[in-house]
Amino acid sequence: MKLQFWGVRGYVPTPGAEYLRYGGNTCCTAIYGAGGEMVVIDTGTGFCQLGDTLMTTEFGRGRGEMTLLITHTYWDHILGLPFPGLVHIPGNRLHIYGPDSTRGSLEMVYNGMLSPVYSPVYGLAHIGATHSFQPTTTTPFTVGGMRVSALPLSRRNRSPIWAYRVEEGSRSLVYITDVRYTDDQIWNQALQFAAGASVLVHSAPYTRTEQVQDYGHSRVEDAIELAQEAAVERLIIFHHAQSRTDDQLDLLVSNYRRQLSDDESPLILDAAREGPVVEV
Amino acid sequence: MIVRIWGTRGSYPVARAEMLRYGGNTTCVEVRVGDSCIILDAGTGLRQLGEALGREPNPPTTINMLITHTHWDHIIGFPFFAPIFSPQNRLEIYGLQRTQSSLRKTIANALSDPLMPIGLEDLRANLSFHEIHEGLEFQLDSRVRVCTARANHPYRALAYRLESDGAALVFIPDTGPFHTVLFGDERIEWTGKPTANTDDDLLALATMRAQIINLARGADWLIYDSQFTDEQYARFPHWGHSSASQAREIAEEAGVGQLLLFHHDPHHTDAQIDAMLEEQRAICRSDMIITAAYEGMELRKGDLP
Repeated sequence: MKLQFWGVRGYVPTPGAEYLRYGGNTCCTAIYGAGGEMVVIDTGTGFCQLGDTLMTTEFGRGRGEMTLLITHTYWDHILGLPFPGLVHIPGNRLHIYGPDSTRGSLEMVYNGMLSPVYSPVYGLAHIGATHSFQPTTTTPFTVGGMRVSALPLSRRNRSPIWAYRVEEGSRSLVYITDVRYTDDQIWNQALQFAAGASVLVHSAPYTRTEQVQDYGHSRVEDAIELAQEAAVERLIIFHHAQSRTDDQLDLLVSNYRRQLSDDESPLILDAAREGPVVEV
Repeated sequence: MIVRIWGTRGSYPVARAEMLRYGGNTTCVEVRVGDSCIILDAGTGLRQLGEALGREPNPPTTINMLITHTHWDHIIGFPFFAPIFSPQNRLEIYGLQRTQSSLRKTIANALSDPLMPIGLEDLRANLSFHEIHEGLEFQLDSRVRVCTARANHPYRALAYRLESDGAALVFIPDTGPFHTVLFGDERIEWTGKPTANTDDDLLALATMRAQIINLARGADWLIYDSQFTDEQYARFPHWGHSSASQAREIAEEAGVGQLLLFHHDPHHTDAQIDAMLEEQRAICRSDMIITAAYEGMELRKGDLP
């Protein structure tokens, strides 16, 4: 199982020279199974970049198939979905799992995003590829040789935000985003869900020393503590703040790595970067 | 008048090394005349504009925002524009009147659950929404004259002309040409043949074109949709965007001083935009200046703040 980030930025895309090394597209992570299966978690603007590269594969010929796991429908996690050419090519099949919210099913929410006031697509009925929407539940399912499970870890305005765990053989990847550990219950649920993961991808846009009015996100320290308690091998923080430059991220990661090394912690820490393929 | 370009990209923002020079942020242009601050479209370039306003010693507290239309690439910067969270600020937001949804509701729905965690009530600035229509002329802050026309784009879009103290800027970021497809409120099913066939359609297109030319006539600067190469246009005439050569033809006919290619395709690299620009410069018959808009570009004429 391999992992590739196509969008690592939270909130809003950040094109610009000072964001190039880590990347400025919003959340999108691709997971490649040993059998050629593809699972994509979240479809921020990084999905547009992934989609472009897939046009030279089966997707360009209308014979591609992928599974999308949507954590929640905030812009930075979904707004890239209608743009890539592959979603407009008949024959391609997208299996889309995501939350039903108080405002309607995932399909209804997405259809609303494509309404003519917001999009030239004029609604889901006019999109070429086959989109099958399924509400995410806690019942595990498989994609080829990969096993997927999900947990509604937090809620925002009554809509659930799902965490996902993808396993292949003895390796496992856990993806947690947009959560604030406000009580023991959420913390313990996250601990159990992330237990022993090979890789934990966790949103952590700010640190505890930064006083930012952002109540929906955990801090870098929270992610590190969770990873350590859950005996995770490698933590990759993502959903970088829009103000965080490459140089600041370098410094931030090296500071926390030094602390981990001083504490003789076995945890490997990285900040997510768009582009490189990572072995899980 | 000072014009500053904060976002040039069309469709969606792109963060890629090959696109740094022209920039990857979606459409946003700032216009300053005297004390007036006018913003054309709220693409992702708006975030940096908000930061820049915050660094000014006396930032404007009244901001006029003219929206061409509410497709995602033209509004996604809005919640990241810092001035909307300051109670001393007043935002006057202008956009098309529609039968389906009010401008206020369109913006509010985009910002609220389950797409975003913000309600209009969380925005501490004083917001007013003004629904306008094509063909309207009005005065902003007593110094700036605004004229509008209809652009040929799916679900309709506005084109704007801003005039003050002898300087004129025309902003038409999204429009198709005026010969093959007539866009309105309904979706166009592209069958490979021109959809505007009836005399009524052809007349409507000719009228729209004449009004666009009229709006742009003699402007100092025309910022115009040039998303496509001619080859791309031939494949996607139903998208409601123009090619660079179609932009040049409109600009030449309107006799503008300078054409700025704009709404760059999210797949076009800096090198490709350079090539499109050179091609148009080589065949331009007038003494019109042609440039391609880039992030950070600044234009000045006449009365400066």
